Amino acid sequence: MTTASGGRIAPREGTGPGLTPEESALVVRIGVFVKMRWLAIAGVLIASLIATQVFHIHFSLVPIYIICVVVTLYNFFFLYQARNLDVGTRASLPEVLAVPLRRFLIIPKATSSLIERARATGNIHIIVDLAALTVLLHYTGGIENLFIFYFVFHVILAGILLHYRVAYLVATWAIFLVVLLVGLEYYEVIPHVHLEGFAAANLHQQGSYILGVLVALSTCLYASAYMVTSISGELRKRQREVVALQQKGLTEKTQELAEAGQELTKLEEGRQHLLRFLAIASHDLKAPLSAVQSYIQLMLGGFSGELTDKQRQMLDRSSTRITEQLELISDLLDISRIEGGQIVQEMEEVSISQVVQESVENVRALAADKNIKLGIKVPASLPKLEASGVRLKQAITNLLVNAIKFTPEGGDVLIRVTEQKGDIFMEIMDTGTGISAEDLPKIFDDFYRGSDREKPGTGLGLSIVRRVVEAHGGKIWAESPNPEDKKGQGSKFTMTLPKSLVIAGKKQSQKKLASNPKD
Amino acid sequence: MAYKILLVDDDPDIREVVTMLLEMKGYETVTACDGIECLAALRAEEPDLMIIDLLMPKMDGFAVLKELEDGRWSKYRHIPILILSSVREEASRRRYELETALEFNVDDYVEKPINPDVLLERVERLVNKKKKA
Repeated sequence: MTTASGGRIAPREGTGPGLTPEESALVVRIGVFVKMRWLAIAGVLIASLIATQVFHIHFSLVPIYIICVVVTLYNFFFLYQARNLDVGTRASLPEVLAVPLRRFLIIPKATSSLIERARATGNIHIIVDLAALTVLLHYTGGIENLFIFYFVFHVILAGILLHYRVAYLVATWAIFLVVLLVGLEYYEVIPHVHLEGFAAANLHQQGSYILGVLVALSTCLYASAYMVTSISGELRKRQREVVALQQKGLTEKTQELAEAGQELTKLEEGRQHLLRFLAIASHDLKAPLSAVQSYIQLMLGGFSGELTDKQRQMLDRSSTRITEQLELISDLLDISRIEGGQIVQEMEEVSISQVVQESVENVRALAADKNIKLGIKVPASLPKLEASGVRLKQAITNLLVNAIKFTPEGGDVLIRVTEQKGDIFMEIMDTGTGISAEDLPKIFDDFYRGSDREKPGTGLGLSIVRRVVEAHGGKIWAESPNPEDKKGQGSKFTMTLPKSLVIAGKKQSQKKLASNPKD
Repeated sequence: MAYKILLVDDDPDIREVVTMLLEMKGYETVTACDGIECLAALRAEEPDLMIIDLLMPKMDGFAVLKELEDGRWSKYRHIPILILSSVREEASRRRYELETALEFNVDDYVEKPINPDVLLERVERLVNKKKKA
């Protein structure tokens, strides 16, 4: 039972708050001392009983019981001491009681470091134990008792659990005490207790035997000290290295993290700089063209006098070229903005059905011009998305314009929205000329204009659509002929928006509040 | 009496085109090159309509709109505002609302390059709306 209580302290002390691995290990070791002592007491009692009862060796048991009681008492003190080692300044007892108690139990002052306190405690344990074993030996035959070699355990424990120098010190102390004991008994300064029925009566006066035992004991103790300390010293060194390595790794990781953070800030600054640059470039590239185009429109509108047919024709062509150039500039800047990450900045709560409706409105006139039936199939309820409404509208409008452009008069264009496993699918189908197998894999590339070069365009439209969709984490692909077309004609464009963009109910209401601060 | 229209744009050619167009239709025009001149002209001329560009040096159109939200300008709040810009309406709206947290409260928005018929139609609608009000 006592061993169990001794064992219980180990994990508690070991996991004490704010202890270094070395400190907690030391605290655990002091607990080991206490535990071993319970075993030693039990061992002494059992050995004495077996010696007297089984082997009929005669010696007085009373002093042994007394020694066992003394050791038991001081082991309880040590147990209390060990439990309070890591207490430090934290008071587990009222200070009035704790201070004298601590002083009485030789608990070193709380201000000294835990390692020092634990070492001092360990040294005290060993010294007291050496004395106890010496006294025990005196009452159990002195030199006759072969348990004299048990001093080796003190050396081993000191070597493993305490400082390596302590092991040699303990060995020396043990030898000194044994020499003192056998010497005093040899010269009959103190009485000799004879183990009747075990050893020869005058063994304690046999010089050669005593010398032999002493030499064997000394070499045994010093050799043990050497072996134990060299092994445990190596282990301790390893432990320190591991801790140092862990700390170094931690420092390096922290530094890497800080550097990555700085790098991110720099990137973000660069991105902001690029977006500002693009805004200015966009304005400055378009402004002169806008002015020229405005003049041309003024002339074409007849506001500067009548035009000849030739003049009108030339101005028309100039105007067309300028419009194309303005579109190209817009497209190029759009691409740069999307690549610069502007879509992320534009993310807001978006209603998909509204985006689709508005895109369809954008092209309604265009479809009507060609007498094309514009169909729209949107489910009654669709989730709201965290997306760039402006860009999605741009992408859908672009796909619809393309569909109308490549569909002959009287054809059909259909946009259908569905929700599949949480993802949003938008399909735009037409009954047009379709896309050749040769063109199909390249239509989303930059500046790809297909084999039909007669149609106007920058060749950037679909590549912008692809970028918009991809910036939202979605996918886009085209099929031609449209697999759903009964006549095997037309083409079908599918774009998906992942469910990760769907706004959960709670977030939705919060966003609504934030976007209407005046309400 | 002819309607007086304040035109604010840093591009002299745009000022020329719009002035020519408006004066041909019998409107009286006053011009300003930036937001600061615009606010001064607003006080001095008390126009019936303001046509303003967004991207201008010194004080841009966004800053003018924000300034006009201030109580000091309540006297001029009834004057309709038509934005004439090469920036797409949605982009401008977003930028203004992001930067100022205010509603982009303008009466109309025309994108450059100028289509004379479109611009004249919008202008006419706004001044007539003002007359009714």
